[in-house]
Amino acid sequence: MLAIDDIHKRFGEVQALDGYSLSVARGRMLGFLGPNGAGKTTVMRAIFGLVELDSGEVLWDGRPINVGERLRFGYMPEERGLYPRMRVGEQLEYFGRLHGLEATAARAAALLWLERLGLAERAAAKVEELSHGNQQRAQLAAALVHAPELLVLDEPFAGLDPVAIHTLADVLRGEAARGAAVLFSSHQLELVEDICEEVAIIDHGRLLATGDVDALKRASEQRRIELQLDGAPPEWLPGVPGVELVERRDGKLRLDLSRDVDPELVLAAAEKSAHVVAFSYGPPTLAELFLELVTP
Amino acid sequence: MSGRTAITLIAWREMRERLRSKAFLASTILILALVGGSAVLAHMVDQQDTYRVAVTAPAPPGLAAALQRAAEPFDDADVRLQVVPSFAAGRDALEAEQVDALLLLSDDRLVFRSNVDAKAAAVADAAVRALRRQLPPAPELTTETLRPPEQESTDAAVLVAYAGSLLLLMSLAFYGQWVISGVVEEKNNRVVELILSSVRPRYLLAGKVIGIGLLGFAQLTLIAGLAAGMLAAGVFDAPAELAGDMALVIPWFTLGFALYAVAYAAAGALASSQQNAETAGQPVTYTLLGVYFAGYVALSANAEGPLATLLTVFPLSAPLVLPARSALVGVPLWEHALALVLVLVSIYGLVRFAGRIYGQGLLRSGAGLGLRAAWRLTR
Repeated sequence: MLAIDDIHKRFGEVQALDGYSLSVARGRMLGFLGPNGAGKTTVMRAIFGLVELDSGEVLWDGRPINVGERLRFGYMPEERGLYPRMRVGEQLEYFGRLHGLEATAARAAALLWLERLGLAERAAAKVEELSHGNQQRAQLAAALVHAPELLVLDEPFAGLDPVAIHTLADVLRGEAARGAAVLFSSHQLELVEDICEEVAIIDHGRLLATGDVDALKRASEQRRIELQLDGAPPEWLPGVPGVELVERRDGKLRLDLSRDVDPELVLAAAEKSAHVVAFSYGPPTLAELFLELVTP
Repeated sequence: MSGRTAITLIAWREMRERLRSKAFLASTILILALVGGSAVLAHMVDQQDTYRVAVTAPAPPGLAAALQRAAEPFDDADVRLQVVPSFAAGRDALEAEQVDALLLLSDDRLVFRSNVDAKAAAVADAAVRALRRQLPPAPELTTETLRPPEQESTDAAVLVAYAGSLLLLMSLAFYGQWVISGVVEEKNNRVVELILSSVRPRYLLAGKVIGIGLLGFAQLTLIAGLAAGMLAAGVFDAPAELAGDMALVIPWFTLGFALYAVAYAAAGALASSQQNAETAGQPVTYTLLGVYFAGYVALSANAEGPLATLLTVFPLSAPLVLPARSALVGVPLWEHALALVLVLVSIYGLVRFAGRIYGQGLLRSGAGLGLRAAWRLTR
């Protein structure tokens, strides 16, 4: 289990990490969310000893992380980088060996990941000859080649096409199912909601929320209603106190309301003025929750 | 994984990626061809040798022809015989450098100015033997010089000294440039984040310097080894002892490279993202050029003077100056030992220092890091 314990880091005037704790267990996947500059990358770099913390600790299975443990971690840095003039297959094999694999095992693992990520025919190509998307896949393979126990990926979905996003989501689920602890950052909140059981939301170096996605959503003070009406007046509103219109389009309405407002009141008001085609009530989406938490 | 495994993997990658470059193979073949070609050139120059021999009157009949015949095995060297009226006249001609040797047949002596020319002595000896073939036992000429032999260096020694130190300068700068461009590339394309997530910075530094150093060592051993072998085999018209001085280039390359490559690597780690490898390496390259020219000037002025002695043992200049000075005038054993100890101590200190700032510099992208700032960060 990865445990981050009360970490602090200041860069000049900026308090990048302002003391928080969180953990990722083996077999679990944690989506790490926060606006730009929230301190996500700093935490990830701290796990790999690339940033020296002012105070606090990063622990793996209860012990401070040393170089030996990091060999069993996989990392996809925010700033991507591979040797541009080195062949893809050999490069993966090299990173496998740097993480302690024997030569034959490293070669087999490199081939396996090239195959899985659809790069098999490009194994002999130099990295600089690959397209941007394929370079991203190669970068991912470099993080995975040694079957890490902890996988840390900084914005792995950024810049990928929908097919690649699908593949990557599958890969991450597979890694968690294999027993790896997976921590990744992303701004694609719908995607995170889709594939993660747990999230941590940070801003200005502080932890705003962490835990099970559904529980976090349910704990929110906000609720949302989606309503589709047939034959309602164009400017129709339910007229229930505490209910706000967020969006109206083609007879579909999205309403925000506080948790203590009874949704039945909204439904009753709608049925009075039009034919209700669809009505749904529930907690906010992850994206809404995120905005609720990070906007002051 | 042990440090040794990591260093081996990194060094091996450095070697493999560079051995694949056609430029490396082409440059090796070119330099080897140049060294080999210089032997052919030396051979062609050799054929124009002329020995000017004076003999006191009366000269025995047939001496000129006998000398010419005796010179045939020596690349058809030309022998010019000059008859002088007396020993005094012959000595004057020798002193005035009108002749190279004075043959005194009355007491079987062959007199040179200050250094005995072995080839000229052999030619004269063979000629005199041929003339007196009926008179056993065959006389042997004793050679002597007007003055005690001077400690002045032969042309060949000067050539070996300057070619050797130039070869060292070029290889240190050349392989040093490889080191720094490798470091700057890793830093600028951020692959270093991935590597340092699993490898200690000092192992990366060591692997890189050792990998490139081994390649350089192999290339230089081929080149200097070929040159030393040719000197020892007498391909050049030069004393065979110089082969040892030529070979001295090889261990001093290793020491010099350890020192300068680590400095280049540290300079690369501290470079800002705008700097390329050349500008980042300038302080080190200028130091290298500075000590080379200081050594050149000191050795040209007085190879046995105090400045030359100082530069022989000073760690930054020793790798360039010591082999050259050894070829020119010889270096006492204690200076060899002192230079070795000082350079080893310097390498140790520099590796410790560079190992500490290397990781800090590499991970700091953007503005680059001053030496002092980098040092403070490691506290």
